Amino acid sequence: MSEKIGETNALCPECMRTIKAEKIVENDDVYITKTCPEHGTWKVKIWSGAKHYKYLYEFSATPKVLEKFAMPTINGCPNDCGLCERHMQHSCLNVVEVTNHCNLNCPICFATANECGYNFHPDIETIRDMFQTVVNYVNSPRVVQISGGEPTVRDDLPEIVKMAKEMGIEHIEINTNAVRISNDIDYLKKLKESGVDDFYMQFDGVDDKIYSKTRGIPLFKIKENAIKNCSEVGIGVTLVVTVSPDINLYHVGDIIRYAASKVPTVKGVHFQPISYFGRYPAEPQDKNRITLPDLAREIEKQTNGMLKVDNFIPTSCSNVHCDMKSLSIVLPDRSLFPLTTMALGPPSKTDNVADKTRTEVSQFWRFIENTMDGKHENETDDGSWKTFVNRAKTHYLTVSAMAFQDVWTGETERWERCCIHTVTLDGKLVPFCLFNLTSTDGTTLYRKRTFCR
Amino acid sequence: MATISAAAKEIIEKRGLKEKDVIGVVDGCGDDKIYNKESKLFIAKKEIGELTVYAVFNEAGEVQTAYSHKMKILDIVLEGETDSGWVYCKNNQPLKNGHTNLTYMGATRSGPSLTEPVSGESWFEEYLSVGALTAAEGLFQQKRA
Repeated sequence: MSEKIGETNALCPECMRTIKAEKIVENDDVYITKTCPEHGTWKVKIWSGAKHYKYLYEFSATPKVLEKFAMPTINGCPNDCGLCERHMQHSCLNVVEVTNHCNLNCPICFATANECGYNFHPDIETIRDMFQTVVNYVNSPRVVQISGGEPTVRDDLPEIVKMAKEMGIEHIEINTNAVRISNDIDYLKKLKESGVDDFYMQFDGVDDKIYSKTRGIPLFKIKENAIKNCSEVGIGVTLVVTVSPDINLYHVGDIIRYAASKVPTVKGVHFQPISYFGRYPAEPQDKNRITLPDLAREIEKQTNGMLKVDNFIPTSCSNVHCDMKSLSIVLPDRSLFPLTTMALGPPSKTDNVADKTRTEVSQFWRFIENTMDGKHENETDDGSWKTFVNRAKTHYLTVSAMAFQDVWTGETERWERCCIHTVTLDGKLVPFCLFNLTSTDGTTLYRKRTFCR
Repeated sequence: MATISAAAKEIIEKRGLKEKDVIGVVDGCGDDKIYNKESKLFIAKKEIGELTVYAVFNEAGEVQTAYSHKMKILDIVLEGETDSGWVYCKNNQPLKNGHTNLTYMGATRSGPSLTEPVSGESWFEEYLSVGALTAAEGLFQQKRA
C-alpha cells in the first residue's frame, strides 16, 4: 500500500539531470522515488513516521529571502545556484573554504580533500573576496564557518580570521579535525587572539575502533587533548559526529554523555547522519542510512530516556526536514535537563527565523570566558530553581542533527529553503549540500566548477 | 478600597501588572493574607489567569509593591524550622522558612518559601519571584518562541 504525499524535483544519480520525483509513504516510512529516462528508477527512504513528517510542515518559517540575488532563475533549482531569485531563505551560516589540503586522509570525506584532482589553497586576497561576498549578501549578524580541507594547515589562519572580523563578520567558527590545535597550543592561542569564537570539531566517538574506520587512524587522544587545550585557552567546542549505522550509531549515547562531562568547554554535539557525496566506499542502500527520526529514537534509547525523541524540534530555519535540535541544561550529576519539546507545538513567531538563528548561534555558542574557572563544577544540585538558573547560564548542551542531502536523497523542496551556504570564488552563495553533491562517478554540480579555475 | 503608592505604581507598570488586579488582590483577600508585625506589612496573593499576583501592603491598605510568577505553586517539600516572622491571618499560625515545589512547562523544582504547614499554604517573596523564578520562566519561554 503506497500513498503519494508530495511532488518535487530531484537529480538522476548517474547523469545529474533534473527529474521529477514523488514522495510516497509505505509502511509508515517516507520515500523519495524518481525515474531517469536513461538510467532507471530509484526509491530511497528519507523519513520514518509519516504523521510526524507531515506535522513538521507546521513548523515551517515564513520565508525570508535575500535582499539581492546573484543569479536569475533560468533553468530552475538546482541549476541556477548563486543564489537565484527563487531561493526562499537567506543565510544563517556561510561556509568559506580556505584550502583543500588536509593533514588526514579519511576514507569518508565530503570535500574529497587531498585527492580531488585540483589544488585549492587561495591567497589571502582571494579569501578577502570570499568574505566580501558574505558582507555583500548577508545582513548582520554574520556567521562564517572557515572550512576546507583542513583550515588549520594554514599558518596564516589567524591573519585570515582577523581580516574577517575587521570586515564585519561577527562570529567565526573553525571546522577542524583538531590535529593541529591538539599538538600546537601556541597556534591555538594565536587563533584565540585573532578572534575565533568556537571550533566545529570532527568527533566520531570515544573509541579508537571508530576512528580507525572513519578516519583511518586512532584519533581519540588527539580530540581529548584538543578539548583540554580549548578549555585552557578559552574557546568553546561543538563536537561534530558523522553517524553511520555501519560504524558508530550504537555509540551516540556515549558521545552525548562524554560531551556533558566536558561542559562548559563543549557547547554542543552536532550529529550528521552519513551522506554519500565526495569520498565514500560504495553506493548506499537504505540500511546504510539513518534518518533523523531514527537517530532521535536511538538517542532516547542510548541515553535511557534522558533525552527523548520529543525533545528534538526543527530549527525552522532550514527546511523542517533538514534538521532537529535540542537544548538541555547539564545538571551537576551530568544528567541533562531538556528545555526543548515538541509538546509545546509550532513556534509562535516563524518569521525572520534566519536572523534569530544567526543571533542564537552567535550568542549562545560563544564561549563565556568567565565560566572557565570551573567554579560551578563542585556545585551540588539542591533541586531549586535558583541552582537551575545559575547553571543554565553556562552549563548547557545542544544536541542537534542535520541530514545533508546527497544525489539520492536531495530534492528541490529542501534545497530552496537551505540557509547554510558555501561561498564560491566568483562571488556566489550555493547551498552546502548542492555544493558538495556528487554523482555516482564523482562528478560535482558546483564544487569543481568553482574551485578548478 | 486599597490604594497604591506612587513607587508601587511605577513597579507595577514596569513588571507588566495591572493596577486593578493588584487592588483586587488586596480587596478580595479577607483573612487570606500573612502579616509581619515587625515591618507591619501584609502579603496577599491570588491566581489571575496564568499568573500568581502578590500585593505587599501596609495596615492602611496602601500597596507598597507587587510582583508575580507564572509557575504554579505545588506542595511544601520542606516545612522549615526557623520562624520567618510572618503569621497567617486566617489561622494565626506562624510561617516558617521552608521550601515549596513550583512547576512550569512540565518542569518541577523547589524554591525557598514562607510555609504554613497546617493549611499547606506557601508564599514566595519578592526577591525570588523577580529573580530566579522570572529568569527560569524566561528561559523556557525563549525556547518556545
